[in-house]
Amino acid sequence: MKAIFITLLLALSLPLGLFAADEAPAASSVEGKLHGVAEQLHADLEHVEESLHAEESKLTMITEKFGVSLPTLIAQMVNFVIVAFVLYKFAVKPIAATLDERQQKIADGLQYAEEMKTQLAEAERERAEKVKQAAIDAQAILTEAREQSKEMIESKTQEAAAQAEAMIRKASEATELERQKMLSDVRQEVARLVVATSSKVLSRDLSDAEKQTFSDSAAKELANAS
Amino acid sequence: MKRDKKITQLAKKLVEFSKDESGAVSEAKVGEVLAGLKQVELRNPLATLKAYLSYIRREIALQTAVVSTPAGLSEESLKAIETKYSAVYGRPISAVTREDASLIAGVRVRVGDDVYDASVAGRLQRLAENVH
Repeated sequence: MKAIFITLLLALSLPLGLFAADEAPAASSVEGKLHGVAEQLHADLEHVEESLHAEESKLTMITEKFGVSLPTLIAQMVNFVIVAFVLYKFAVKPIAATLDERQQKIADGLQYAEEMKTQLAEAERERAEKVKQAAIDAQAILTEAREQSKEMIESKTQEAAAQAEAMIRKASEATELERQKMLSDVRQEVARLVVATSSKVLSRDLSDAEKQTFSDSAAKELANAS
Repeated sequence: MKRDKKITQLAKKLVEFSKDESGAVSEAKVGEVLAGLKQVELRNPLATLKAYLSYIRREIALQTAVVSTPAGLSEESLKAIETKYSAVYGRPISAVTREDASLIAGVRVRVGDDVYDASVAGRLQRLAENVH
């Protein structure tokens, strides 16, 4: 930006400089001609002086016609340099600094935006990876939960079947025990009745002689027992 | 009441003195022991005599076979029982009969705490117990 302003100032000052410098070769050539005329026409001084006056009057006429004078030209150049210096010092330089600062800010902003874009892309990629990983984890958890539920259902089913079988077996055993107990009670009752009846019958029907005979036989049986 | 240890030992000695040559308690020997006791002065005569009586009863029970029967029993059968259990226990056993109509028929012999049953009632009872 600074270079642009310097170039602009130089471009503005160039036509003025050319205009001022355009008079210098013209004056030297006139002087040369005057010297030549003076040498060649030394004798004719008047004529030369007239010619010189004519030339000078012509030059003066030209400069007057264009309104160019050396002090004015120098003063204008000095003024231009001062104005250029003031402009450069108080306008171009702050503006250039402001523009540089803004350009730096824009560059920083662009860099920040680029970084943000990179970070956003990275975050997006991480998010996508996390979502993908979460989906994989969720699928694994779902599969595991399904397997566990299946195993639990099978286990509970087997447990229920075992409990039902155990209950049936216990009920069967209880029924069998009850039946055995009832049969035992019946047998004991029958035996008691048989014994009681037999005792009564034998007590009533056996005579004393038969009892004594049986007693002697039993005594001998005891005596002969080993 | 707990018996004195010395009285118990003395009673057991007196029971030994009350046995004859065959090892059985005899009335004569018991009379001699009692006569002897009258001559000595005992420290506690009543307890001593009670202990002596208790041991004499136990000894007699061990030497007696109580034969329970609903009817009479022949002398031959009694002798056979005495011979049998004298040989079994290694001491003279005398048999005494006792009538017990609940036996229906047969005999039941008790020697001390041992019971040998050959009665009809006992057999029926065992039959009833074996029926389950």
